Amino acid sequence: MKHARDHRNPAAILVSRAVAPVAIVLAILAFGVAFAQGRVVDDLGREIVLDASPLRIVTMVPTHTETVCALGACDRLVGVDSFSNVPAEVSRLPDLGSAFDADLEALIALEPDLVLTDEYSGLAEALVPLGIPVYAGTPQTVAEVWSTTEALATLLGLESEAALLIGRAQGRVEALSASVAGLPAPRVFVELDATPYSVGPGSYLGELLTLARADNIVPGRLGDFPQVDPELVVAEDPQVMILLDAPFGESAETVAARPGWGSLSAVRDGAVIELDQASVDLLTRAGPRLPDALELLIELLREVRP
Amino acid sequence: MQRTAVRAVPAPSPRWTVRTASAVGLAAVVVAALAVGSVAITPGEVVGAIARGLQGRLDGAMDVIVWQVRVPRVLLAAATGAALALAGTAYQAVFRNPLADPYLLGAASGAGFGAALALVHGATWAWLGLLGVGGAAFLVAVTTVVVVVLLARRRGRLPIVSLILAGVVLGSSLSAATSFVMLADRERTAGVLAWLLGSFAFAGWRDVAILAACLVPAVPAALAARRAFDLLLVGETSARQLGLPVERFKWTVVLGATLLTAAAVSVAGVIGFVGLIVPHAVRLAVGPEHRELVPLSVLWGAAFLVGADLVARTVLSPAELPVGIVTALVGGPFFLVLLRRGREAW
Repeated sequence: MKHARDHRNPAAILVSRAVAPVAIVLAILAFGVAFAQGRVVDDLGREIVLDASPLRIVTMVPTHTETVCALGACDRLVGVDSFSNVPAEVSRLPDLGSAFDADLEALIALEPDLVLTDEYSGLAEALVPLGIPVYAGTPQTVAEVWSTTEALATLLGLESEAALLIGRAQGRVEALSASVAGLPAPRVFVELDATPYSVGPGSYLGELLTLARADNIVPGRLGDFPQVDPELVVAEDPQVMILLDAPFGESAETVAARPGWGSLSAVRDGAVIELDQASVDLLTRAGPRLPDALELLIELLREVRP
Repeated sequence: MQRTAVRAVPAPSPRWTVRTASAVGLAAVVVAALAVGSVAITPGEVVGAIARGLQGRLDGAMDVIVWQVRVPRVLLAAATGAALALAGTAYQAVFRNPLADPYLLGAASGAGFGAALALVHGATWAWLGLLGVGGAAFLVAVTTVVVVVLLARRRGRLPIVSLILAGVVLGSSLSAATSFVMLADRERTAGVLAWLLGSFAFAGWRDVAILAACLVPAVPAALAARRAFDLLLVGETSARQLGLPVERFKWTVVLGATLLTAAAVSVAGVIGFVGLIVPHAVRLAVGPEHRELVPLSVLWGAAFLVGADLVARTVLSPAELPVGIVTALVGGPFFLVLLRRGREAW
């Protein structure tokens, strides 16, 4: 390059010659930082490294489907599990069964460049040897909803979208829990099934109850998903019962007919809440609709709050 | 039993007809299972993919589906069926009991307990995580049977009745323990249950290799012992008088059949019915002689489980039925028909 024949003004030349290397160094640094931030480890303790931003994603858990779509990447999904139904548009995608009995052939035929699944089903162990990148993990707490959203966003290259999504959601959660601060906390019993299984305060739904200012009658020492003694329920006399097993036939009547349960405050006061399947999904899927779930709980409790 | 043992030996020519027909039948079921799947792949593509798989140069998703998913799945189903039917044949001969199956001495309950422990606590207990689900299942299954045998032993002998009782009781206790482990962690209940019901859904080449390594010595050994099995049919006392070292033989067979069963269960889960009805079906068809019973049980067991798995993965596609449900639902009525029509073999 002959500088003498460069007709640009000297300042521009100086800028171009000085800035170019600086820009390159900055770009490398930025890439390095992004790369370091992009380190994603799933619940099986495996680090997931992708060659490129994934464009053909399969989700085998409804919460991951919701998260991918909430990040604005619904159009990158090529297949989902049988239970994914939110947002409605994913029902058009190929149904690959559940994570536990996934249709491996159909899944591989979709040639996914990322599979998002759970940590329990063994699907990851089956797919990883085939060279398919897999993230295996599901959020079990409120904090894990945020961290999982961040992890998935990193894999998808949507970190800023995730920051926005999480910021907005956390703002709504704060506002919602502020709206019930100071209100009396009703004693609540949440029933997952008629065995009866319930939720402890450490579980996702237990945390939502606390945020909604409800007093879960199940003590933490019983664990996150305990089968509780019916006597405990009678002794604690819940003022509100939330039946997540209502879609499976449980109702205020069946609860009232159980030995000793007919005189519970919740039964006498008509505060046995029968949820429909969509509400059950909303409350049990730890995902981006967390604020909606909290809002639903607060709404349900508002009607019966003593 | 004594009456059947002295029955006239069938003429040699139908024997080879049955053997050939069984081998051809197994081949046909395997080909059908390779041809059919949730993803439509033409027979030509399947053959091409297998050829490329054998050469170790897979090309594209279809090749991966055939060579890494479908072929190991079919082979594992065949090997599991063969192993369970062979173990069932051996157990039924040693116990001289038509209800004996490979799980009689607690191998299945032990494997289930080991698998449940690994699935639920594998992440927190390092040694369990190291073993893996299959390793834990195998280890606890073998340990259970060894404990049962030691409990049943009387002055160096293995009385059949105490063996069966010890097996049933320890098995029930372990099943209860499995339920406890499973229900104590509700998140993982579905995973444990899926494992307990048995499945070839996530079968890989490693599983096929493990089970094949157990079958390769087991089948010739069982064939070599066919005379001893036949002698046991007439009763332990008579067998001893005819020169069979009965106690040593029982120990060897129980140990071998247990290792085979534990290996099958550790790679495929607890698949019921195969080890019970396949030897019976063969017996009803060709009689109780082990010269026929051993090889035909291996072939029929393999064909039966490949067929059952084919049904399991096609009827509800894309969802799958647990293969153990198919073996019981399809195998049960089939066996009852045989029972009504067949000859008196016990």
